[in-house]
Amino acid sequence: MAITGTLEVFNFIDIFQILKKDRKNGILVVEDNKKNLAVYFKDGDIVYIRDVPKVFYIYLDVDFSQVMKKENIKKEDLYRMLVARLPILLAIKKGKFSFTSGFIKYSDDIKPLVPVEKIIMYLSRQLTENEVERKISDMKLVFEKTENWESIAKNAHLTNIEKKILALIDGERSVEKIMEEAKINRLTLQRVLYGFLAAGIIQRKKKVKRKIGFDLTKNLLSKIIARIKGL
Amino acid sequence: MGEKGKNQIKIVVAGPYAAGKTQFINTVSEIQTVQTEAKTTKSEEKSVKNHTTVAMDFGRITIDDNHVLYLFGTPGQERFDFMWDILGKGMVGLVVLVDSTDPSTFHEARKIINYFESRYPAPFVVGCNKQDLKGAWDPQDIRIALDLNEDIKVLPLVALSKESVKNILLELLEEIAKFI
Repeated sequence: MAITGTLEVFNFIDIFQILKKDRKNGILVVEDNKKNLAVYFKDGDIVYIRDVPKVFYIYLDVDFSQVMKKENIKKEDLYRMLVARLPILLAIKKGKFSFTSGFIKYSDDIKPLVPVEKIIMYLSRQLTENEVERKISDMKLVFEKTENWESIAKNAHLTNIEKKILALIDGERSVEKIMEEAKINRLTLQRVLYGFLAAGIIQRKKKVKRKIGFDLTKNLLSKIIARIKGL
Repeated sequence: MGEKGKNQIKIVVAGPYAAGKTQFINTVSEIQTVQTEAKTTKSEEKSVKNHTTVAMDFGRITIDDNHVLYLFGTPGQERFDFMWDILGKGMVGLVVLVDSTDPSTFHEARKIINYFESRYPAPFVVGCNKQDLKGAWDPQDIRIALDLNEDIKVLPLVALSKESVKNILLELLEEIAKFI
């Protein structure tokens, strides 16, 4: 199934979040007016970025060793090339994207060299007011740390203010409360929380209890279920 | 609005603009869905559809002599979000719809979920509508995009299909059963 859209409404943080969480392998194609970039993902992390004159060129190579051969690079060059091309990719704010899952084969010795969590946090520090409202739209929200938050946070290379905010996330404090205690402005806090959510450091607090606004009995619920089934 | 003497049970169907809320209700309602529509005014909205819900839609399913289930559809546009508060009070469950082919609607759906989860945390499920169309995102990817944990059901949906809509409602009722 598709993972397609435009960068104007679905930014790189949002895209990387999906690819990382599901540890996807495949190729993300980004097209703007001037260039076509192919971003190669292994286990949800970026291993290489390739500039191609035509998009279909990307799909001529099903093995990553072929890509390296065509690009005239060795395994040892991957980190240098990636670091050089990442700013070009991340500077693109408008254009189309589409992710093709699978398709490319990697040998075991190809390892991700830049953790995507680090890129997510870097990008989150530049989010606009409109963008942060997409995820952190309510000051009453409560977040908790995820099961493996420590290892993700380590990969994400957090700043001191981000570490301070992370320490305040306990599944009890609302966004509003954290803002008061951390004594930081709303936009900064929203950016940090957006990044934490996308990187997988925090999640919405799971609800143990839910509110049902009617005195429903099991018998009545069974009747409703039977009625719906019979429609 | 209700039939005299009958207890009214309320399920809210929320979601972004043009996600298919009115169609969802129409598909299973035993009455012609009562609609409160107006002509769309913004040019980007006009390009999607000509009319939109401004107050609410509602459909009805009679359960027995004493109970009736109402499906209330909320307006999809953010400028009518005052209706979310009115409709959220007293609901037994919530269905949030997204247009699986349009990732811009995921942001709006997340805002709706944030709103209801902070104020009226009733059991809810997400219906990923338009799964029959080309370019539809996988419900599992939509779950991640909406920042939802595995404990929330994110389900495929084709709102034109009665069986598909019934499945969403039954999954919601299963969730509700966990909290009775």
